[in-house]
Amino acid sequence: MPIAMDSTEHTLWVSALIVGLVVLIAVAALLSLLIYLVRIIDRRVVTVRDTLKAAKANTADTVLIPQVATGVDAVLAEGLQHHLFLGRVLGKVKS
Amino acid sequence: MTALVVLTVLEVVALVAALAFYLFWVGTLLARIAGNLEECAQIVHGIVADAALIGPGVEHINETGGVVAGALPLLYGMAEDIVADVTPRPEPPAEPEPARPASGTRRSRLLHAVGFAPDLSGTGGGQPSG
Repeated sequence: MPIAMDSTEHTLWVSALIVGLVVLIAVAALLSLLIYLVRIIDRRVVTVRDTLKAAKANTADTVLIPQVATGVDAVLAEGLQHHLFLGRVLGKVKS
Repeated sequence: MTALVVLTVLEVVALVAALAFYLFWVGTLLARIAGNLEECAQIVHGIVADAALIGPGVEHINETGGVVAGALPLLYGMAEDIVADVTPRPEPPAEPEPARPASGTRRSRLLHAVGFAPDLSGTGGGQPSG
């Protein structure tokens, strides 16, 4: 059964449809802007990740520092041996 | 009337479809960003672990290197004493010779002009030049 509708209701319906279309376009525009900004964030995050990878590669050799410290300790121990040796030899030479 | 109903349904379907499409797209991008940020967090933890070795290691090297640098003058002083004691020295001459310039004596044209040729060997005086 067809529903009777006067001209005022028809106008209001058409107006609501137009407003809905405007809202739809606005939503699409705002979501497109959101997508644009999120893609920028994605690119920047990839850049940050690559920079951090380079920094990780630069700091990867710091495990050698304790080994160098051990080597310097060995140099000190060898120097002490030289000191003892020279002390013995110097005593014999002077006597 | 029917046209209005159809248009309304189409508009609602378009709105829902647009929302679903964009939200799916944003969700995909955010998931990818989350994965990248998680990887960044792991890399930062690795960098922190690497950097934690620098401070104590460099402090240890600095301390031990300072001890070595302080002990080296004592070592080479002892070595110099040993070398000075065991190195043979030439016998000093009985009569010390007069000091002569190592570069020799220069020839004087003035003396040659007046007919005098000095004997620079140290014995005797000069001889008149012919």
